[in-house]
Amino acid sequence: MVGALNSKHLTYLKTKKFKILVGVLLLFGIGLFYIINLYNKPLKNIKKSSADINISAQQLLDDYQKDEILANKKYINNIIQISGEISNIKIDNGNSIIVLKDINGESSVMCHMLAEENLSILKLKKNSQIIVKGMCTGYLLDVILVRCILVNS
Amino acid sequence: MKKIYILLFSLFFVNQMFSQKKYLAKDGYISFFSHSLVEDIKADNNQVLSIIDKETGEIAIQLLMRSFLFKKALMQQHFNESYVESHKYPKAKFNGLIVNFEDLNDKNSNTEIKGTLSVHGKEKEISIIAKVIINEDEINISGDFMVEVADFNIKIPAIVRNNIAKIIKVTFQIKHKPYSK
Repeated sequence: MVGALNSKHLTYLKTKKFKILVGVLLLFGIGLFYIINLYNKPLKNIKKSSADINISAQQLLDDYQKDEILANKKYINNIIQISGEISNIKIDNGNSIIVLKDINGESSVMCHMLAEENLSILKLKKNSQIIVKGMCTGYLLDVILVRCILVNS
Repeated sequence: MKKIYILLFSLFFVNQMFSQKKYLAKDGYISFFSHSLVEDIKADNNQVLSIIDKETGEIAIQLLMRSFLFKKALMQQHFNESYVESHKYPKAKFNGLIVNFEDLNDKNSNTEIKGTLSVHGKEKEISIIAKVIINEDEINISGDFMVEVADFNIKIPAIVRNNIAKIIKVTFQIKHKPYSK
């Protein structure tokens, strides 16, 4: 009868051919699953990642002002953890920026904070020391860090 | 004698006020959007640097390509490594003029901004319509325009040609505050 399992079907299930077929489909399924996951992978979780580089805001600024191209090679696309003194905190449109000033000049490190830090940032005071962890994207008038979080020392 | 000093001081003070010629933004917003049948791609840059000279209406904008944030890590990686090659061309720039800057006011806030856009090492003259709102303590520009990806030598591999639009929409909103050095 159509639709009913008969002995012919049962014998096929035991054959090597079938087992190989299952194996291939399984591999294909795992591969597909892996590719979809990779494709949809969100940006690196800054909170969970450890910093590639640990320095002071002043050191970062000095490196950039000395040689921008070299500094880009060293810092761009890396998770940087910097310590420094808050010179300004700006909150606008739900986005907060903490500015760490350059002792020697007009420049600064601008840390664009993740929205999840907003509540903690309200508690921060100017001139206090903080540690920030984020991604360096380069230098315009200031060194720019994005996707930053506060680090409790 | 005292009166002269007061007069000189107030003239100096007034002159300082009027010499607030430059307006600066360090956290301007520019995003781009590509729509295709396969998928929509969007990225935001909230670290745009922009300076407007109030005297001349000139505007200069700079941004870091790496500051464009995508939702998906792989897209951001491809954007930087293959499409715009941000290791070779880390910045995009625009130098131009806000046309009829002196005539702008509450009722008349739409105008043309024209100039040279430089992306991926290639320059292109563009002219766009923007809304420019001028207050004593803020100059706010906003608008959107279309850009052809090919104009900037951005090569999209055949395999993803259906994922990325040939013409993408760029949206901007930049608030400038007075800046004096």
